Amino acid sequence: MKVVGSYLLGTCIKPEVNVDVAVTMPREIFQDKDNLNQRYHRKRALYLAHIAQHFSKEKLFGSVKFAYMNSNHLKPILLLRPQGKDEKMVTVRLLACPAPGLFKPSRFYPSKNNVRTAWFMEQSTPKEGATEPPTPHYNNSILCDMVLVSHLHFLSSATTDFPGMKDGLALLKVWLNQRQLSKGLGCFSGFLVSMLVAYLLMKRKIVKMMSGYQVLRSTLQFLATTDLSVMGISLVKDVDASLPVLDDFHQAFEVVFVDPSGLVNLCADMTASKYHQVQFEAKRSMEILDDRMVDGFQVLLMTAKPMLRTFDHVFHLKHVCKLQGACKKMQLLNELIDWGGNYVGAALPFIVSLLARGLAGRALLVAHSLPQIPEWPIDAEPPKHKDVGPLTFGLLFVPGFADSTLEKGPQADHPEALDFRTFWGEKAELRRFQDGSICEAVVWEANTVSQKRLIPEQIIKHLLKLHADIPESSICYMGALLESVIRTGKEVSGLGEEAMVNVVCSYDDLSRKLWNLKGLPLTVTAVQGVHPAFRYTDVFPPIPMKPIYDFHTRVKTKHLLLPSEEKPCPAYIAPLRIICHMEGSGQWPQDKEAIKRIKAAFHLQLAELLQQQHQLVCRPAVTHTDVYKDGYVFRLQVAYHREPLILKEVVTPEGMLKYQDTEESRQLELETLHLPYLTSSLHGLQQQYPVFGSTCRLAKRWVSAQLLSDNISEECVDLLVAFLFLHPAPFTPPSSPQVGFLRFLDLLATFDWKNNPLIVNLNAGLTDADYTEIKNKFVAARSRLPVMFIATPKDHGSSMWTQEQPSAQILQRLLVLASESLRVLEKQLMDPLNRQDVKLVFRPPLDFYDVLIHLNPNQIPRHLESVDRPLKSFSRGVVKNSTSVKILFPVVDYDPVQCYLQELRDAFSDLALFFYDKHGGELIAVLWKPSSFQPQPFKVSNMKGRMVTTLNNKLVCIPNVEAILEDFEVLGEGLVKRVEARTEKWTI
Amino acid sequence: MAAAEQRGAGAAPPGYTALAVKFGARQRSPHCLLVKEHQVREGAGTAHPPRRTLFVLNVPPYCSADALSRLFARCGHVQSVDICDKPEPGEKKEKLTSKFFNRKSVTGFQVAYVVFRKPGGVQAAKALSQGGPLLISTESHPVKTGISKWIASYAASVVDQEELKAEVDAYMQDYDKKIAEEEAKAAREEGVPDEEGWVKVTRKGRKPGLPRTEAANLRLLEKEKQKRARKELLNFYAWQHRETKREHIAQLRKKFEEDKQRIALMRAQRKFRPY
Repeated sequence: MKVVGSYLLGTCIKPEVNVDVAVTMPREIFQDKDNLNQRYHRKRALYLAHIAQHFSKEKLFGSVKFAYMNSNHLKPILLLRPQGKDEKMVTVRLLACPAPGLFKPSRFYPSKNNVRTAWFMEQSTPKEGATEPPTPHYNNSILCDMVLVSHLHFLSSATTDFPGMKDGLALLKVWLNQRQLSKGLGCFSGFLVSMLVAYLLMKRKIVKMMSGYQVLRSTLQFLATTDLSVMGISLVKDVDASLPVLDDFHQAFEVVFVDPSGLVNLCADMTASKYHQVQFEAKRSMEILDDRMVDGFQVLLMTAKPMLRTFDHVFHLKHVCKLQGACKKMQLLNELIDWGGNYVGAALPFIVSLLARGLAGRALLVAHSLPQIPEWPIDAEPPKHKDVGPLTFGLLFVPGFADSTLEKGPQADHPEALDFRTFWGEKAELRRFQDGSICEAVVWEANTVSQKRLIPEQIIKHLLKLHADIPESSICYMGALLESVIRTGKEVSGLGEEAMVNVVCSYDDLSRKLWNLKGLPLTVTAVQGVHPAFRYTDVFPPIPMKPIYDFHTRVKTKHLLLPSEEKPCPAYIAPLRIICHMEGSGQWPQDKEAIKRIKAAFHLQLAELLQQQHQLVCRPAVTHTDVYKDGYVFRLQVAYHREPLILKEVVTPEGMLKYQDTEESRQLELETLHLPYLTSSLHGLQQQYPVFGSTCRLAKRWVSAQLLSDNISEECVDLLVAFLFLHPAPFTPPSSPQVGFLRFLDLLATFDWKNNPLIVNLNAGLTDADYTEIKNKFVAARSRLPVMFIATPKDHGSSMWTQEQPSAQILQRLLVLASESLRVLEKQLMDPLNRQDVKLVFRPPLDFYDVLIHLNPNQIPRHLESVDRPLKSFSRGVVKNSTSVKILFPVVDYDPVQCYLQELRDAFSDLALFFYDKHGGELIAVLWKPSSFQPQPFKVSNMKGRMVTTLNNKLVCIPNVEAILEDFEVLGEGLVKRVEARTEKWTI
Repeated sequence: MAAAEQRGAGAAPPGYTALAVKFGARQRSPHCLLVKEHQVREGAGTAHPPRRTLFVLNVPPYCSADALSRLFARCGHVQSVDICDKPEPGEKKEKLTSKFFNRKSVTGFQVAYVVFRKPGGVQAAKALSQGGPLLISTESHPVKTGISKWIASYAASVVDQEELKAEVDAYMQDYDKKIAEEEAKAAREEGVPDEEGWVKVTRKGRKPGLPRTEAANLRLLEKEKQKRARKELLNFYAWQHRETKREHIAQLRKKFEEDKQRIALMRAQRKFRPY
């Protein structure tokens, strides 16, 4: 008996501390030819079972269980855990190994056969003349046991006088653990990485002087640059002609890393795809380590990378037993023999390479989860192959190529054409291309952008059906499950991305018209959109609409329509705000009141000129002009660049002119200067990352579904999502809205808002020095800054989008909701067998609120946007149309619920908080402020909604709750269905 | 709810009388208005004359000036009702001239000043607490709330273009006239000494002075400082040398302390919990 493995080397790391103990089985229990037909394995298992039976009677152990070594079902091991408190702390793993020299190593060369086909097929006589296939995996599993002890010696010689190796290995193991690479069948285990470091030491890529960090770096560098699936490596020191060469190994295994004895392939079970994933991670990590703007330690070693958040699309193979059929279809009998009947292990490399070929050009990486078999108590049946649970695959897309509808193959008369045709089956067809060539090609059906994103799903289902006999029903594709909550209108197909493009086109046209407008006293210098639709992040993009006259009250004299009291509320038409900068000139007055008048005059004139020159229907007002164009309503707002400055002017008593920020000037600056800049920056980001907009929309939809949209600004959410795309480390920028949304929730839940600023480097406008400066200033002034601090290149120190909202309480609430939603959602998405409704995280918990105000659906103009779309809806008095030119002006920006909320907040903001989902919520949730329910002494300024009463012979003020509840109904006459008071908190 | 009815108009702080008021007949729990005779110091403004003015606290949001004057009409002829956000000195406010600009609407719970024509009205109003709750919205004079109110205010938000244009033009004419007058006055005074012999220098005219802004002042100070620094000899005397050295060391110490604090903070924050 001997202790082997990482415990002796001092490189054990939490959470699982394992002490591996090798038990040498006595020579007597083996006979000749025990290397054949799994005899060795069965005896080994029996031996362990015997030990287990013996130990289970001992009081010494808390638990005695079986498990499989790296989930290889031929190699059971015994897990012993101490009794009492330490049970969770440490596990002793008993590994059985044969006595040295029991078998002759030459019998286990990769090309040798040790499992006879006839035995495996349970036939009595072997077929004559048939050659037996080699069984490299089987051979390797016996060899592993034989060299167990010598590996320990090898590693311990490498670690002596090398303190850096210990640290380096610990770091590497954490790195692997965080990436879920270190457990399961074919894993990149801690042992493997130790051997790799030893190899690098042997090759003098690492020297014993190096620190842990340098070991980590060199190892990652090596992994990133070397492809072991093409060029294997070997630890053999002196060449022995009798040993198999690397080429032999390459023929038998996908990944090759030969141990010092020259016999064992340490990466035998690993698939090439898994190694490529490790390589990809190493490459990415090297980039991160070289990037001075990221905190490498935090990102590489402290951030977990579960598959759901790493890969753009994830799909599950629900029932692995379907792989049995796949083995049959792909004729993998030899592999099955080699794997001892483990169809998962046998079929997996073929399935993955099939997918990789089908998705070549679209996917950067096709990865799979490692099958893991759980441990089991000694008195239970051992788990079967199907107990590994669903197998998960992850796809990482090449941006821009993943959604092409055409797969172009070789020319029709080339010999490869046949190959192409057999690969794609009946989907392959001949097509003539524009350059005149006639090629084989596959065309996938997809009309909208969101459907195009799901082309990989079509490919995967088609290929698995065609080549592996896996039916569509057992594939559970998690690509676009969440998108239904931001789907517009009744049609099922689109996500509204096309609608957004139409809005931007119409806006471009309008801005061109504004530029060329004749007859204005001053020219237009810039036209800038500020509505979220112009940066592709509006949750529900505007749709061209034309009002039905009968539905409204008509005012012919003013050419406009009004909502009618008898009919349901008309559809909500959002005004798309555009800032129109006018040329500076000496003619502008230098007085703020006069500027307001001049702006109003401009609004009038713009309306008149647009009507005359372009026949657009306009409705001017004091602060803006509404323009009806192509079915959209644009709200033009004139701006004068010196106005904020004039608002800031203060004359001191000495007659000196000073500039001081006022509330008004800050607001104006935000609207006319910073918001347009943000909008154009994010518009650019959308061009770079096509799913930015949809991710943002999902995030905003979630925030508003949780009733918090009035408590956190839209721009703030936009910036948070932009952060995910600009600083994705350790991930890659998201290529599907779903993964982006999951990372958004994770960011909200895990970011340390108290101690760190969130720096969004828009347009790469910040340098390394700026980063440090921002951080230093943030630390120095933390207590004076908003709870959520977001810095951008144009805003180093003030975090303008989070200054008033969210408050500390709301942020706390948001974090709790985010982490809970993330937990629920990940559980749902990783569990394909019992599928639940993913909309669950979009339904807010209501038990926390004191009063619920139920609203009348026919007065909610955006009722159709709600998460659970109502089955029947009211006519909203509009038809989709964009052609009409001469019409009465429709009702714009009229949402009774918003009016109601405004009145509620005006009247009761010091007593209660009001929460509402602006996208079609059917209720308003009210939360009393606990502080306002303390009885207070009478004060003239503090009597709003309260009444005076005597308490302990003293006159005090308390809120008049009964009357207030009735006020809720009075103020919302016609809109409120009922007011439900849920708590009796106010009884004092 | 019955309990609410009982304590409805009961308690009131000294000097005030509580009046129960309800929106309509259907509502069950009343709000209570607190009223008292308006008291002002001598010589204050005339908008709220003493003895004839009733000061009303806690006016509900749906209770407009009209509704309030109707409520108190039974106590005597109401001359005017003034609703504001919070109690303010009764100076005569300048009447807002514009229909379109700077319109502030008071929302939420408000205070009101009700001016009666005769002093008796105030006493009569205080006596109202004996009767049942007052109703704001009655069948003969319904008060609009909810949907109908919002539709009305949407309709009101549509401006008449002609009217707006006329107002803007009028304002700008006035403004231009004012500016022209100021300029003319400045031109007249250009270079003319006043009674004590001072001459006013403005940016216009033959010899423009420096603009009196903060930025210009700062620029000037900066220039002065540079000039002085150029003249001054650094580390010339032994004591100067000593002083700079000492300052340098003190600064290093301070920075060291700050760094130590920062590192301590960073250590405290680092929660090493990889899993």
